[in-house]
Formats: sequence, C-alpha cells, structure tokens
Amino acid sequence: MAVRILSRLSVLCVGLLASIQVLAVTVTDARGEHTFDSVPQRVVSVSWAMTENVLELDVKPVGVADIEGYSTWVVRPPIPEGVADVGKRNEPSIEKLAELKPDVIILSNGQEGLVDKLEQIAPVLFFDAFKEDHDNAEAARGIYLELARLFDKEALAEEKLAAMDAEFERLKGKLHAHFGETLPDVTGVRFFNEAVALVYGANSMSQAALAKLGIEPAMTVSESQWGFVQRKITELSKIRDGVLLYFKPAPGVEKLFGSPLWQAMPVARAGRVAPVESTWSYGGALSVRYLAQAQTEALLTIKPQ
Amino acid sequence: MTATAIRDYAVSGRRQGPAVRYGAACLALLGALLLHLSLNSTLPLAEQWALLWGRAPETFEDFQFVYAALPRVVLAVLVGAVMALVGSLLQQVTQNPLLSPMTLGASSGAWLALVCVNIWLPELMANWGAWFAMGGSLLSVTLVLLIAGRNGLGGLPVILAGMATHILMGAIATTLVLLNQYATETLFIWGAGDLTQTDWTWVTWLLPKLSIALVILLIAPRPLTLLRLGDAGAGARGLSTGPIIAVLLLLSLWLVASAITAVGVISFIGLITPNIARASGARTARDELCFSLLLGAVLLLLTDCVAVEASSWFTDLVPSGTAAALVGAPALIWFARRKLSARDQTSLQLPEGAARVGRRVWVSVPVVLAALVLLTLCFKPDAFALVAPWRGFQWPSDLVLSLRWPRLVTAACAGVGMAVAGLILQRLIRNPLASPDILGMSAGATLTLVLYTVFAGGSIHEAGPLLAFAGSAGVLAILLLLGRRTHYAPGIMILVGISLGALIEAIVHFVLAKGSDQAYAILGWLSGSTYRVSDAKALLFAGGTVVLFLLALCTSRWLTLISAGDHIAMARGLDTGRARLALLILACALCALVTAVMGPIAFVGLLAPHVATLMGARKVWPQLWLAPLAGMMLMIFSDWLGWAMLYPKQMPAGTVAAILGGSYFIFLLTRRRLG
Repeated sequence: MAVRILSRLSVLCVGLLASIQVLAVTVTDARGEHTFDSVPQRVVSVSWAMTENVLELDVKPVGVADIEGYSTWVVRPPIPEGVADVGKRNEPSIEKLAELKPDVIILSNGQEGLVDKLEQIAPVLFFDAFKEDHDNAEAARGIYLELARLFDKEALAEEKLAAMDAEFERLKGKLHAHFGETLPDVTGVRFFNEAVALVYGANSMSQAALAKLGIEPAMTVSESQWGFVQRKITELSKIRDGVLLYFKPAPGVEKLFGSPLWQAMPVARAGRVAPVESTWSYGGALSVRYLAQAQTEALLTIKPQ
Repeated sequence: MTATAIRDYAVSGRRQGPAVRYGAACLALLGALLLHLSLNSTLPLAEQWALLWGRAPETFEDFQFVYAALPRVVLAVLVGAVMALVGSLLQQVTQNPLLSPMTLGASSGAWLALVCVNIWLPELMANWGAWFAMGGSLLSVTLVLLIAGRNGLGGLPVILAGMATHILMGAIATTLVLLNQYATETLFIWGAGDLTQTDWTWVTWLLPKLSIALVILLIAPRPLTLLRLGDAGAGARGLSTGPIIAVLLLLSLWLVASAITAVGVISFIGLITPNIARASGARTARDELCFSLLLGAVLLLLTDCVAVEASSWFTDLVPSGTAAALVGAPALIWFARRKLSARDQTSLQLPEGAARVGRRVWVSVPVVLAALVLLTLCFKPDAFALVAPWRGFQWPSDLVLSLRWPRLVTAACAGVGMAVAGLILQRLIRNPLASPDILGMSAGATLTLVLYTVFAGGSIHEAGPLLAFAGSAGVLAILLLLGRRTHYAPGIMILVGISLGALIEAIVHFVLAKGSDQAYAILGWLSGSTYRVSDAKALLFAGGTVVLFLLALCTSRWLTLISAGDHIAMARGLDTGRARLALLILACALCALVTAVMGPIAFVGLLAPHVATLMGARKVWPQLWLAPLAGMMLMIFSDWLGWAMLYPKQMPAGTVAAILGGSYFIFLLTRRRLG
C-alpha cells in the first residue's frame, strides 16, 4: 500500500516537474544562465538597442529609458504610445521602475553597474552587445534570438531574420544590376568636423550590413568596441578605387567638399562619394536591415566604373 | 629641443647675453618647424621647398602638404606665439607668475557658449559658432576680472576667481552635455584642442585678428617697465597705470579669445612659456615679451609633434591639447619646484557675518536639516502639483525608504567630509578661498580613477576607493615635496590643483572625442552622483566620515593655534611642522573618501566653512560643528533638487551643488567688491 502511494506520488512529482519544465525558460546573458518560471509579461528595457530588440519581437514594454533620445537618434522601430519613460539610460529612476512592477529588466553596454541596484526590483538580464573581441553583428543576432526564447517568440524571430536575409538578397540584386558583376569596395564614415571623421571598421554594424551585401571595406582600420576609430580626414586618401559613404547629419560638409585638399582626394576626384540618410548604427540585430537599405540607396547614386 | 636643451640655452643666455639666447631660440624654431613638417608630410624636403616657392601641387601628397601640413604648422606657430605673448603680458601687468589665459577661465566660457549653441541653435553653428565662442570667452574672463577686482590681480584672488568660474561654467556645460547626449558630440574635438587643418580658412580667419599682437609689442614695454616700479613709482613718473592696464587687458583678451576659438582648448603654453623665458634670462619687459613669443611658437610646435606621433601609435587621434596638458602639467610642477610663487599673503576677505553664534542658529539649523531629511524621504515628484502641493508628500514605503536612505546618507556624509576638509585647509593656509577641489586633492583621486578607466578599461563606478586614496596620496606627496621648502605656501598648492585639473580635463576631452559611450560614464561620474551607492557602501562611508570628523574635532586646538599664527603656535609649544602634516593628511583622507564614493564635489569645501562663519562661527570649535552641518544641508538639498527637478531624469548632486555653490560664491565675491 505504502509502496503504491509512494510510486503514485513520485509519478505525480515527475509530472509536475515536467510541466514546470515546459513553462520555465532558461536564457543566457553576459553573466550566465537565468531561469524564468514563466514568460515575463511586464518588460522594462533600459538600453536603446535592447528596446529595439524587444519591439522587434512585437513585445510592448511597460517602460523604457530616454524615449526622447530614442526617438531622436534610433527612430526605428517607433516606441508605441503608453510606454512609460524611466529616465536617462545611465541612471534610470529606480522608484519609477519599481512602480511599473516589471517581470524582467534588460540592460546592455555601460550599464553593468546598475545590475545590483535593479535586481532589488526584478530579475535583470545584462547583454554585452558591443565588444572589441567579438563580431558585434553576430552577437546582436544571438541576443535577439535569446530574447525571442525568453518571450516565447522564436518562430517570429526566425521569420523576421529570414525576411531580413531575403531583403539583403534583394538589395544585392539591385546593386549588381547597377554595378554589374563586381561591386566596389566601400567604407562608411561620419564627419565630426572639417578635419576629423569617425571611420567605420569591420566590427561596425554599418560595415556588417555591407558585408551581407557582398561588399568589402575600402579601407582597413583596427577593431574597436563600437566598430569605429577616429581619423584625420587626410587619411581617407588611402581609399584609391573604393567608394566613400558618409552618414548624415554632416555639419560643415559643404565647406569641406569645397576645399582644394578634398578635391585632390582620389575618392573625390573619381566622384565616388555619397551621403547616407541618417541611420542609427549602434542598434540591435534587425537595425542592420535599415543600414543595408540606406547604404544601398546611397550606392545607387554612384556611377558604375 | 628637450627641456635640457632649453635649459642649456638658458644657461648660455645668462652667460653670453641676449644675442646668443635669441640665436639659439631661432635655431630651435627652425628645427621644430622642420621636424613638424617631416612628421606631417611624406614629401622629401626638396619637394616641400619647391612647393613653398610656388610649384603647383599635383599629387595628393602635394595637396596634403600645401593644405594640411603647412596650415597646421603656421597655426601652431601663431597660436603658440600669441598664447605665450598674452601669458607674458598678463604676468607682467599683474606681477603674478601664475596668471595665464587658462587660469582666467577663458576657455570655459567659450566651451559653455559652444555647448549651448549646439544644443539650442544648431543651425547657427556652422556660420556663427566662432563668434559665440569668442563672446563666451570674453564674458567669462570679464567676469573673472570683475570678481577679482583691481587689487586682486596681483595675487591669488584672481586665480581663485578664475578657478571658481571655470568649475561653475564647466559644471553647467557638463550638465547640458549629459542631458543632451550626442547633440554635442562634434564639439568634443574642439574641447580637446586640435590643430588638424584641411585648408587655410582658420589661418586667414586668425591672422588679421592676431595683428594686434604687434601693437602690444610696440606699446606695452614702456608701461610694463614702469609698472615694475610699482604703482607709486609709475605715478611719480607721470603715468597713470589704470587706463593702460585696462587697454592692455582688453587687447590680450581679444587675442586669447580669437586663438581659443580657432583651435580649442590648448592650455599651459601661456602659463609656462613666460616662466621659462624669465628662467632663461629675459630681464627687461620687451625682452620677456619677445622671447616668450618666440619660445611659445617653439613649444607649441614641439607639443604638436608629440600629438602627431602619438596619433600614429594609438588607434585614435590624440588631440594637440591633450598632448599639451600631458607635457605641460608635469613641466609646470617641475618649474614650480624652484621658481613660481604668487604673492601669497594677499588673501581675499569675504563678507563677515555675526560676531558669535546666536541661540537662534543652534535651534534653526537642526530644524532646517530635519525638514530637508523629511523632504528627501517623503517627496513624490510625479504626484506633486502646484495647485495641491500636499499631494506630493507621503510617508515612504519600505521599498522607497530602502532606495532613498543610502542616497541621503551619502549626500550628507559627502557634505560633512568636504566641509571639514575645506575648513582644515582654510585654517591651515589662512586663506578663506582654499578648498580641496581648488588645491588639487580631489583632482588627484579623480585623475587616478579616470586613468584607470581609460587605460585598464574597467568601469569607473567599480574602481575602488584604494585607487582614489593612491591618487590623493600622490598629490599629497607632491604637495609635501614642493611645499616643504615654501612652508606650504598656497601658491604651490593651487598650482598643483590647476595642473591636475587641466590634465584631467584634457584626458576627459580626449576620451570624449573618441566618441564612445565610455565617455558619458566618466562624465556622469565626474559630476558626482549618489545614485550607485549601495547600502553597505553608504554605511561604510558614514562610518569613515564619523571617524575622520572625530579626529578633526581632536585637532581643534592645533587649528586654533595655527590660524592665530605660527609664532603664537610655537610659543604655545606646538610642533607646527608636524601638526600641519597631520592636518594635511586628514584633509586628504576626507577628500579621497568622498571622491572614491561619490566623485569630485566642488564648492562645498569652499563654502561650508564660510557659511558657518557668516552664521557667527568665528572660532574653530563652533565652526567645526556648523560647517559640516552647512555642507550636509547643501548636499542633501542638491541631491534632492537634482533628483526631483526633472523626474524621472536625474541630475547628479555634485553638479547641482557646483551650480548652486558657484553662483552663491560669485554673488559673495561681487558683494565684497560693491561693499
């Protein structure tokens, strides 16, 4: 009798455990594994890149940091109405956060120091999205899929990533139709002033977008955390047969382009310079799509050789 | 071309007269020019020569030489020469070897103006930015001169006023930058001071504006020579010095503002060069002006060579201003070892208050403090409305309480720590304007923490108090080494503060110019926030502050005796040397503790002891109690204001305190002048 009860109990226990196993989800962030008993419903994102990822999973967060800044700089995808602002990204208001009663708080680069404070409120996920020694674009994809597992949206995520890859193929087709068999080498920059520019290197999201389109960089620069290094504008003369793209806004660029030095640059002499519409270059996995689109638009204005 | 070489010229100059000295300097200038051009251009010398004499540029390298390397070298010569000339002029007019465009706060005004324009009127930036920078620069220097007044120019008051203005404007600019990330990004290179050129625009913009320098060279020597005799002597020779000083100051202001606008913040050249000129034997007024001019060009050229070389080593560009500060700060301290000392004893009197602390003060201070504590704990910014203000207050829940008390404790202890440190220093140096932030003690701790973040790559919030202690102790060691000979004269100590402050600023701007988010973390930390302090840290901080405060109470007899004068103190059997050392260490420890926990806090150390005096605490014992209370109130109020004003955004307590304190300080100084 006792044996039978015990065995029934144990079956029950196994069954219970199994059912919890089905509901529980384990995700890995920069600090290790975290298990959630159920899919988090109330989400707060303190980092812009993570806000972007969450929105791209069709999850409406209850709170995000610095909506004004996000709407100015990141722009796409827009933050829907009714999402609370929890303050600046480096020091979000903990009390405001607590009032939102989040199930999970998502952080990324530069916010390591907030983990302990915010864990008082809710479980915290911290993603090290931008690092010198990993491929930022690949890492972004990994983080996006990890979040998709957390919110039980893996099918949607796979679908969106596949759509993005299809978009790359479409853009690639357009570029080949314009340039023919071989595409030019391209490097993107952001002009700081008339003398100095940020040059995007292999680890930047914008060059990653170009790589997806089958385009090589026109200039090699060393790896860095965010993918850019600062260079004197004269160093852009190293680009001999490639194309130079510059991101808007570019204050004072008319003055620069009017200068004899600029006109003596090989790339300017060949007329292979084009502006790219303002696009956020430090975003999440799906922001690469916008970068690819904007840069393709710019490249299509360049005459093929 | 190194420091030893310059010293050799100096020695030879002293021995063989000015001809040799000028010859050597001209040779150095030629060498520096060639070195600079060879670093900036890949063309061989013969090609460069041909291009100089009119050969039309063909290849990109030719264009690079004509439109990048040449304007850069010309600009370096112009700016270096003008900065040094103005430095020499200012130092001669005021007889104050510590004065320079940098110490007058010229750059901070321009910086603040540019930040404002970039945020609110960005469309004007391209065409009018230069004029805004010039306006800002002129305004801030005028403010400093007004604060210091005619009599303050010769000594420390003008330098302290310059530092105060610099800190105040810097705090406002930092707040704006932090609240408007990215909008000001393109400014940071200017802030770091860079000479990189891509055409002749800036040279042609600057050249006519600098032609005034010739006027100065022509008219200045005679009045300057007479000024050396002192006001009375000059008056006896029928020269009224007032109008001439005014005109000379105006002209030099104009020069400095133009140079800063063109190239950004390049410090130290104007401060060091005239001192080198004097050290190498320039005696007469004209000699010093001319020789400074020449040396300034050489020094900036060489510094810029360092910047160019360093840029090819680092992955990122190293701005010229950063190089100038890296070379200049140690050089300045090295020079200070022997040569520099301001007229120390001309201390500045601030308005005085009641003669003794009344009973009303002892009652009202704790009441106000308790009210502030309640305000911090119970205020709820998003429920507050002007029509029904009572709704903004409610008794805090456990969670709210657990979030707010560490902030409260941290702010309060930071106020106490800085107030006590300031009090000790003011009594020790017998100057009511001495404070740890101005004397470089906070700066030492800050510098080590910033360097750790930049080069070791860690988060600045994680860097422990040990590093801060190391930094403060390092500054203490420098102060002790330099100070032993000069009996801890404030001039030396302030000099260390200025040097370190400029060095930190240069490094921060260098990091900012790199354009990564790390810079904002550092800026945020530099503005002194209570946000990240954990419960345990707050308790430890409180414990440390209480211990150090008790120690300070124990030293009250020393402080009383020392502030009465060294002779009296020694007559009463006090070993003044040892007491000074102990007190300095105590002040340093307080400073390092506060900086490690919260970041640098400006003005509280300066103002809290003074507020205590205004309330009647003229003796050490009541001041030792009232000053910490005043500091506590200022910090708690600042923390609350920064937190509640833009809720849910927050502004760091340190910045708010700097803005509140700085404004009050300038108000006090102006009242002193009017009264």
